[in-house]
Amino acid sequence: MADGPGSLQVQQLLELLAVMSSFTDEDAAARGAAERAAQALEAEVAAVVLDGQVVAAIGFPRDAVAEQDLLAVGRRERDWLDVPGLGKSPAVTASWAGSRPGQLIVARWGYDSFSVEERSLVRGMARVLDLTLTMLRTLRVEHEMRQRSERQAAENTRLLESLHEQQRLLRHLSLIQRAIERRDPVPDVLDGIVAAALDLLGGEIVALWTRDAADSERLRLRTSAGLRGPETVSMPAGEAGAAGEALRRGEVVTVSGYAVSGTCLRDITDGHLRISMAVPVHENGQVCGALVVGSTVPGRIYTAEEAQTLRVLAQNVSLALTDAHTVRKMHQAAHDALTGLASRGLFLERLNEHLAEGRPAALLFLDLDRFKEANDEHGHIVGDEILTVTAARVTTHLRSTDLAGRYGGDEFALLLGDVEDPAEAVAVADRIIAAVGEPIFVSGRTVTVNASIGIALSGAGRTDALELIRAADAAMYQAKSAGRGRSSIHQPI
Amino acid sequence: MNGDSGNITPGNVRPENVKPENVGPTVAVGRTRAHPDRWMGVGRSAETDGAAAGRAAAGAAAIGPDPQLVLVFVAITYEPAEVLAGLREVLPGVPVVGCTTHGELGPGGPTDGTVTVAVIGGTGFAVAVRVAENVSGRQREAGEDLARAVDAVERRAHRVLMLLTDGAIRDQESILRGVYSVLGAEVPLFGGACADGWRMTGGYLMSDDRVLSDAVIAVAITSEAPLSIGVRHGWSRVGQPMIVTSAGDGRVYTLDDRPALDVYLERIEAPPRAWTDPEVFTAYTLSRPLGIQRRSGIEARNLSTEVDLVGRSIGGGGAIDHGGLTWVLTGDERSILDATDAACKDAIDGLDGAPPVGLLTFSCAALRAVLGEDGIVKEGAHVEKWADGVPFCGFYTYGEIARTRGIDGFHNQTLAVLALG
Repeated sequence: MADGPGSLQVQQLLELLAVMSSFTDEDAAARGAAERAAQALEAEVAAVVLDGQVVAAIGFPRDAVAEQDLLAVGRRERDWLDVPGLGKSPAVTASWAGSRPGQLIVARWGYDSFSVEERSLVRGMARVLDLTLTMLRTLRVEHEMRQRSERQAAENTRLLESLHEQQRLLRHLSLIQRAIERRDPVPDVLDGIVAAALDLLGGEIVALWTRDAADSERLRLRTSAGLRGPETVSMPAGEAGAAGEALRRGEVVTVSGYAVSGTCLRDITDGHLRISMAVPVHENGQVCGALVVGSTVPGRIYTAEEAQTLRVLAQNVSLALTDAHTVRKMHQAAHDALTGLASRGLFLERLNEHLAEGRPAALLFLDLDRFKEANDEHGHIVGDEILTVTAARVTTHLRSTDLAGRYGGDEFALLLGDVEDPAEAVAVADRIIAAVGEPIFVSGRTVTVNASIGIALSGAGRTDALELIRAADAAMYQAKSAGRGRSSIHQPI
Repeated sequence: MNGDSGNITPGNVRPENVKPENVGPTVAVGRTRAHPDRWMGVGRSAETDGAAAGRAAAGAAAIGPDPQLVLVFVAITYEPAEVLAGLREVLPGVPVVGCTTHGELGPGGPTDGTVTVAVIGGTGFAVAVRVAENVSGRQREAGEDLARAVDAVERRAHRVLMLLTDGAIRDQESILRGVYSVLGAEVPLFGGACADGWRMTGGYLMSDDRVLSDAVIAVAITSEAPLSIGVRHGWSRVGQPMIVTSAGDGRVYTLDDRPALDVYLERIEAPPRAWTDPEVFTAYTLSRPLGIQRRSGIEARNLSTEVDLVGRSIGGGGAIDHGGLTWVLTGDERSILDATDAACKDAIDGLDGAPPVGLLTFSCAALRAVLGEDGIVKEGAHVEKWADGVPFCGFYTYGEIARTRGIDGFHNQTLAVLALG
């Protein structure tokens, strides 16, 4: 079987075929083919050239591969190699074309050149190598394409997840901003933001800390989720972990464990906090606190996307706090500081708006009887208390749609919206007179003041606020003239 | 490698020297054809104490000035560390390399149970030693590293890299491929795999004061005179070939698509007990290696030592590749002794007519099974005749290394000879 002419070469080619199928990359296949070719021909030198580059060579000292000589043999410009230790050795080469042309080169010491069978074997081996390299290249390209496709699929999944996250964030922000627009109570708005942070950041702990009104060096818990202990807890800013650091630096901060933390933070987190991230919140442009998320999960880290989400939520906290601040300031400007009732200006503005809408109204003008005497006798502190109590008693008898204003000194103006019936207005006035006339306990003494109320109705074609007030004022004087502690309705002339 | 051997008349046969007790406590053997700058001396000792044997053998071998290398071949019955301690007492500071054996070769005949030492010396020689450890699983990389021994040795006109390997390492061809990939064709390779007296529990390598396993020792030897290698076996193929249909990592799993063990035993007409008893299997198959066809002849592969009676696969020696053809080989005392002569002649002829100062002779442990006690005495006598009075020294190996042509160099069932000119 192996004795016929060329049968050894056939066998060696079959062996090469069997061996080449075990290679998984082109470099290993080129080296393996070179070694196999040298072994089969009992040659000392073998090399593989691809695209004009020697990619595998054996037989030369590693640092002295005669690359140019090998390339020359590959181009059939010479048929021998000068091999260190051997000298001039006959060389044979076989080429292949295609997308990556190459040559297999074999050189053997001795005077005998290669036989026809051996040259044929080198050609066969070169063909096997070409096929193997082509197959491995195809496999590599397919593998790379598959990897690219898998990477793309993974990226798509990530993008989709990111999109879903964005949508959830937008839903939350929409709810939060509507609540702010509606001027929902600030605690409700802040609770909504904490809930959104819990949902979006998957955190076990969310807390909003703001400067303590009594001590600006401390932080007080405004609202939270996942913390233990009293809801009114406060701690020095320097011991508040990430919140304190965010406040100090004015930027996003991530803190590991209990760095820059005191016992209070440890207590309210049960000592299990692994990582926390805080973003400063602002009120009216000033840093006033921090929104914090924390985790007890080992190995948890916060991504740049999560930091951005927390930043957006913190901006909404800032928006809510600043809006509340603005509302508070506006209210302070339009209301009487002592009684909390509308100022004269606000009252007139509202009255004008009401009348401009063509809606009927009853205006009650109230003046305290003998207030000046009480003020002079008991001092202005008692006088202020009388005014405050009076305002509260008056307000008690009004509907939410009605408006009370302090018009000056001891004068109050009351707008009863949509009241056309004089009797109805008189009934309200009388109830107020009765309430105001109740004794007041202030500074250890009992003081009693009465009120006189003048009533004017808009129904008689009065659409001017000042005119209506003047009419009510005139009626009030009528009441006082009639003996105080009573009401009088203005009768148009 | 070639099965052809020259016709040499056997020399004096001294069977009484097979046993260590017949060697005498210490023997200094061989006259040296002392060249002013190059010499080799051989000493052997059968002292039972390792240190004493080391001292005695080294003392007998150190016959000249400027000793460059101590080569020690130690029977598995000795404690290698003790032998090294004894050697280094006599030749402190001289590099020591060596290994355990399945019998020691030297003037006076082969022995079991001795410490046999060769000392190579004189300013005409230079050596550098490099050791690779934890070689299994990274044979090629270890070979690449070991090649650097050649960079460390003083340059002379001629050089060789001698490798002593742990015979338990599989795929020793890869060690040689690693070496060859760095050195190329310029540096011939010679050496052998350590043996363990057929205990199959593992032999040891020795380097200076260290005893190593799963290791390879490389000794770069340069000389101002030629260094020449001969390697031969006495086998020829019989019958039709078998196709290796599954093989890997030094094992053959199937031949002709049937379990390799079954096909092999059928072909060699093994007795029934060889099918079930590993010891009987080994004893029977040692003298019946498989062969693979190469351009210039048959290469023998010893598959007698790592039989798997359950998995019905065979293994042990050099690689037989998947997809190749293999034949049962046959050989006898005559053909093997002819090969002994041819290997010696090849090595000595390579010295370009100059006489050798010494020979290193590494013979296959499996040949002992073919030749028998009388046969190995004859083998020793043949070598001694070719040595013609110069010292020679070696051991029975679990694999011989000799690369002079082509890229392959790991052999089974051969005699490898390095002649030092």
